[in-house]
Amino acid sequence: MTVDLTAPVVTATSTRRRQEWPFYLSAAVIVLAVIAAVLAPLVAPYSPSQTDFAALWQPPSATHWLGTDQLGRDILSRVIHGARPSLLGAIALLAVATVLGVLIGITAAWKGGWVDTALSRITDVMFAFPGLLFVVLVIAVFDRGQVTSVLGMALAYAPAIAKFTRSIALEEMARPYVDAYRLQGVGGAVLCGKYLLPNLLPTLVGYLVVLFGEGLMSLASLNFLGFGSQPPSSEWGLMVQEGRTGVIQGIVGPALIPGLTIAIVVVATNVVGVRLSDKLAVRK
Amino acid sequence: MSVLAVDKLGKTFPGRRGQQPVVAARDISFLVEAGGSLGVVGESGSGKTTVARMLVGLTSPDQGKVMVEGRETSKPERGRAARLRRAREIQMVFQDPYTSLDRRLSVESCLRDVLNRHRPELAKAQAAAEIGNLLDQVGLASKLTASRPHELSGGQRQRVAIARALAVRPRVLVLDEAVSALDVSVQAKILTLLNELRAALGIALVFVSHDLAVVGEVTDRILVMYRGDDVEQNATAELLRRPRHPYTQMLLSSAPGPGWQPERVAELRAAFALTEGRS
Ligand SMILES: Nc1ncnc2c1ncn2[C@@H]1O[C@H](COP(=O)(O)OP(=O)(O)OP(=O)(O)O)[C@@H](O)[C@H]1O
Ligand SMILES: [Mg+2]
Repeated sequence: MTVDLTAPVVTATSTRRRQEWPFYLSAAVIVLAVIAAVLAPLVAPYSPSQTDFAALWQPPSATHWLGTDQLGRDILSRVIHGARPSLLGAIALLAVATVLGVLIGITAAWKGGWVDTALSRITDVMFAFPGLLFVVLVIAVFDRGQVTSVLGMALAYAPAIAKFTRSIALEEMARPYVDAYRLQGVGGAVLCGKYLLPNLLPTLVGYLVVLFGEGLMSLASLNFLGFGSQPPSSEWGLMVQEGRTGVIQGIVGPALIPGLTIAIVVVATNVVGVRLSDKLAVRK
Repeated sequence: MSVLAVDKLGKTFPGRRGQQPVVAARDISFLVEAGGSLGVVGESGSGKTTVARMLVGLTSPDQGKVMVEGRETSKPERGRAARLRRAREIQMVFQDPYTSLDRRLSVESCLRDVLNRHRPELAKAQAAAEIGNLLDQVGLASKLTASRPHELSGGQRQRVAIARALAVRPRVLVLDEAVSALDVSVQAKILTLLNELRAALGIALVFVSHDLAVVGEVTDRILVMYRGDDVEQNATAELLRRPRHPYTQMLLSSAPGPGWQPERVAELRAAFALTEGRS
């Protein structure tokens, strides 16, 4: 570890603290979302599907902290239960896209030559396609639903991850320690998987956390459009779309609250992602 | 028989758009005996690194070939066994000590990784002893075994890189500007070390540098390159005493170019006396 002895210690820590509160707040938001996803049945006051036709479109009150929707369901409970499909969807989307993207990106960088050219052309073309088009294609071939929308979106996200991985892999491969491994007789697959990839991970993780927020939003939009999760799921995008009918009558809560939830979680993951990349980059 | 035989190596890089192709090496030939050493000198861009990389097979030559103990090394090997055998023929130490080590691995895990691959017959305790030997050989304190590259100085890293190459037990060791990034006293220590290793292990050295004073200390033969050409090749003492080619004379007198300066030599000799006196 190196310590900069010339830096004025007091100002350094005080400015640092001022810059860090958004990070801690965002981390807290993410922890809360994860707790909601894992422990929904324990922490939610009501069942997400429990209807109450005597209490439709209720404003926030002591019994329903965030009010009720068009079927009299408790919005707070639905948002809490919605964390699971919303977060799991984004995680699955990112997992599939990352495996695909990293595989393509590292292969292109490592093999070079025509393999690189071919893979780069394919990802460029996919990159230029609007993501929604993939999903519509996948849904046209299969059927609407959470699995197809996640897979379709994963196809849309993979090219960006592939491009990013390729560029950081090329940069890393210019370091002679990679040549040293080659000279030791390490084969390409082992070199990429055991030595190159772990050295890319710090950079990759920060990028993926930022992408997570984007993925969450993309999936929510799909669900809003009716391509993904279907009722009675309380996935957040779907909640916004179901709450829409209230907006016409001047009741904004049922659409606004899940919408805000999405926005807050997305911003939080962005802040954490950017912070994480900075921190990990410094350690290099 | 020579351990390393290099025959008419040539490499031309295609020029970037609108520019002439670059002839980085042309008709480079030389022999190195076991325990012998060859210096490759020349100013920046003369093709030294290109030759070094062709020797170990990282760059494929357009012409010519490189033989280590009668086997060609300038082509990539297929299959794990062949790759491992190749590794034991020839190893290289790279110019930049700051990027030539894997930043994730401590000194110990770096060396253990090589031993696991190349000497799997060693039991855990034997491997640990061997790591101790290697660190000893390159003059690294054993308290540094747990350090990761960012905790080491340039000279320490270069020693780790040399130990990593030695762990494979190669017949030939190529060093590309291995001491250029280090200050003079560290340079002298590493040069002494290389001379010792050469004598003790019978390794053939190819020592690449733009600095004639440094090369003169570790080699018994010198090849002078200029724009990819072999302009002069001779026994070190002879070449330093009676340079025939004007370019070599220029390097030696070294008005504008890099290389031989009387103060520099005096400085090195003093540093040498210091390290030798200490050990
Ligand atoms: N991969 C490459 N592609 C294109 N040109 C290259 C490549 N590698 C080297 N060259 C060119 O070949 C010539 C010789 O380069 P090389 O790196 O071998 O010189 P060098 O003697 O090692 O120089 P230095 O002392 O600066 O390290 C230079 O003109 C360089 O620009
Ligand atoms: Mg060079």
